[in-house]
Amino acid sequence: MQERNNYTEIEDFLANESFQRWIRFKNDQQGWEEWTLENPKRAKLVEEARLWLLAMKVNDTSLSPIVIKTALQSTWAKIDKKEKQEDPTIRIVKLLKKYRVNTAAAVLLFALLSTWFYNSLYIPESNIITYNELINENGEGLVEQTNNSNKAQIITLSDGSSVLLKPDSKLSYPKIFTGNERKVYLSGEGFFEISKNPKKPFFVYANEIVTKVVGTSFRIKAYNDQPNVEVIVRTGKVKVKSSQLIKDSKEKEIVLLPNQALRFIRKKLIFNKITDITLDKNLTQNEGNIEQLSFEFTDIPISQIFKTIEQAYLIKIDFPVEKLKNCHLTTSLNDQPLPEKLKIICKSIGNDTSYEMNGNQIIITSDGCN
Amino acid sequence: MKSQTLYIDTLDETVLWRNLKEGDEKAFSFLFEKYYGHLVRYGNSFSPFPEKVQDCVQDVFTDVWVYRQSLNDSVVVKAYLLSSVRKRIARLQERDHIFRKTTSMDSIEFLFDFSVEHQLISDEATEEKVSHLNELLNNLPTRQKEALYLRYHQGLSVEQIADMLQVNYQSANNLLHRAVVNLRKEWKGDLSLLFLLSSSLF
Repeated sequence: MQERNNYTEIEDFLANESFQRWIRFKNDQQGWEEWTLENPKRAKLVEEARLWLLAMKVNDTSLSPIVIKTALQSTWAKIDKKEKQEDPTIRIVKLLKKYRVNTAAAVLLFALLSTWFYNSLYIPESNIITYNELINENGEGLVEQTNNSNKAQIITLSDGSSVLLKPDSKLSYPKIFTGNERKVYLSGEGFFEISKNPKKPFFVYANEIVTKVVGTSFRIKAYNDQPNVEVIVRTGKVKVKSSQLIKDSKEKEIVLLPNQALRFIRKKLIFNKITDITLDKNLTQNEGNIEQLSFEFTDIPISQIFKTIEQAYLIKIDFPVEKLKNCHLTTSLNDQPLPEKLKIICKSIGNDTSYEMNGNQIIITSDGCN
Repeated sequence: MKSQTLYIDTLDETVLWRNLKEGDEKAFSFLFEKYYGHLVRYGNSFSPFPEKVQDCVQDVFTDVWVYRQSLNDSVVVKAYLLSSVRKRIARLQERDHIFRKTTSMDSIEFLFDFSVEHQLISDEATEEKVSHLNELLNNLPTRQKEALYLRYHQGLSVEQIADMLQVNYQSANNLLHRAVVNLRKEWKGDLSLLFLLSSSLF
């Protein structure tokens, strides 16, 4: 800050960030006020620079975090599209050039790779399919999330769906869903709440079965080392069939409605439909909070609603307690994925309310309710 | 919040930029979230179509990621992004002009107007002076106005501004300096005239 002693032009002041902050936000960490008063000639210059800044206001209409998040998502979608547009063969050539592989070697490598790829894809060794095989088969840059902790973890997907992933479980999913299908891969157990989109059905691949939905909530249990795969439906309609990777799959499709379930016996490739889950203790014994809690709220304090959501998703919600202490809400959030639930609540509280999600941490910003 | 956006930790940014080049998605997202608002606001001063501007800004980021390997290492991120947005909007407007078959497509125009910090002014005399200066500022040629905006609001250096406006350093410097000197003269002149008038009245 010694340099300011040599300032002779108002431009010097205008370009100084600390000076700007003093004028605009009354933030005077560098002691501008005192420094100005030291010297009357200086004071004149400072006063003029101040008037300039006052005449040069820029209206900063800042964008809400949600707008920016959405923009970021659509940018990833654009990136995805652009990367796909680049012809894959050109990309391979580029890659080979980069690593200075000569053409003969490249042809040989390509032949070897394609044989290996063919073999691994079309000659499955047995009827038992594991998560790793599913992932290898898909191969389009998936994101994998593993829950190594001892409590369930929330994952939100690009379409607004949410998955509560149990410990020792893994989920692979594309960063952005493109095309007409939404596909994810599960190993272990997870509770899914899928955002409704009939045009883009949602598929969960888990061991030997494929579960298809358009918007609903359900739980799938598919550990690699367990004999059965289970699908338990909470809301909406779910269709389950065996994976196409099974050689002699019978292509049977089973429809499940709320409170129905399905148990797939892996060795025998048999589906057992369970029409009332309350009669099957095995199915209900490890249901999570989220399946027991109700999200029907009638004139309930906001803090209470947040508490319910915290318990269901095992997350932490920070919100301005004082500002929202008199806010009550009547709403039905059953059957909504977590981002949708939060969106609805924020909207109900008022226009200047928004949320931000960071892993297990959710921050609500609000000026109070209408 | 506001003061945060004024201060940029240049050291951190070069690290982030390098990480981005190596394919770090988090670095990309961080820079996106940091600058998206700035860039949209700047873009909006060239175009009355906010949706197109947002599209342009997203395209700039798309290219940053897709062609990240060919990005320059030593770049001031903010200046680079502002300049890319400006170029992209210019290109878009040129294209639109071609379709509309109009002739003038020299360069894009900075349509932005400065406003007055009314909340920070308590007395009428200051209010009058500042409003007058504000008017003079807004009547400046658009290029001078843009140079002032980039220098004193976005905190770019004279070199960076020269680069963006595609002129040499000296011209950019003149652009900025002349704007201030001329305005000061005019403003002071008017003020004394105003002073004379008001004193003769009473």
